[in-house]
Amino acid sequence: MVPTHDPQLLKGVLSLLLLRLLAERESYGYEVVQRLRELGLSDIGEGSVYPALARLEREGRLQGRLVASRSGPARKYYRPTPAGSQALSEGTESWLSLAAVVHPVLVRRLPDPSTTTLPTATEDT
Amino acid sequence: MATSPSTFDRLRIERVVWTMNTRLQDLPRRSRTARRRELRDNLHAAAADVGARQAVRQLGDLRILAAGYVSAEYGELSRRPSWTAAALTLIAVEVVMMLVDHAGRSAFDAGITTAAPDATGTFHWAGIAYLTSDATFTYRDGTHTSVGGAWTPLVYVLMFAGAFVAGRMWRLLAAWQRQRHLTALAADGQRYGDQG
Repeated sequence: MVPTHDPQLLKGVLSLLLLRLLAERESYGYEVVQRLRELGLSDIGEGSVYPALARLEREGRLQGRLVASRSGPARKYYRPTPAGSQALSEGTESWLSLAAVVHPVLVRRLPDPSTTTLPTATEDT
Repeated sequence: MATSPSTFDRLRIERVVWTMNTRLQDLPRRSRTARRRELRDNLHAAAADVGARQAVRQLGDLRILAAGYVSAEYGELSRRPSWTAAALTLIAVEVVMMLVDHAGRSAFDAGITTAAPDATGTFHWAGIAYLTSDATFTYRDGTHTSVGGAWTPLVYVLMFAGAFVAGRMWRLLAAWQRQRHLTALAADGQRYGDQG
């Protein structure tokens, strides 16, 4: 199956998405994956999300808390730290700034090849 | 409401959890335990949602997941040498050498005292080929003292080569080179920043 989103592009913004989702509501690992899929990232894998959560926690941008569960082992819920909130704010600004430049370029109409006049080649003698 | 997974599904999940645990040997024990517990919980949650088989499948290649966790733990210095493995190898070689040396000396002593229970005089032992130097046993009425029998340089070479391989010490070199590269980049960035 061909992925619907470029994994490299997604990798670049995954941390930002995680910080944003967890700022909206704290969640545990699998719940985060489900929320990303509900947003349309249907091909996102747990193999990308779980290490990304671990990395953000190591960097001090997320903090986890264990919540006892009656049905199984304690569940780890993540939420952003103040450093994470700041990173989210800066990352959002940076992304929107980049998107403001890139998006208009990418949605511009391409010229019709049949009406395009190519520059005439001049013979260099 | 989530149903409790069957025994078979639990076993399926445990197999993945402990396979992952094996692949996370490079992590500190505390961190490895935390990742294992979290993975187990997430797999149970996913199994309640899509079934254990699919939950396991959705994890993807466990080697990639493990590499992700190790990279998350150590950042740029993703793969570190194992000091514990290196130390254990040094100890293991030392213990083996002591046992081999003891066995050789005991055999030599047994040979002398069997032939002459009240032996008196000096006897030359050639040592263990390649591993120990020769030794002189001095007997007096069947009891002895000995001089020599030191380990050869080959033993120390084996010891440190074993520690290098078991401890994956080349990772230290790779990490050092990466760190140097990053420091150089940071210095360049600082210089250009100052100029700007």
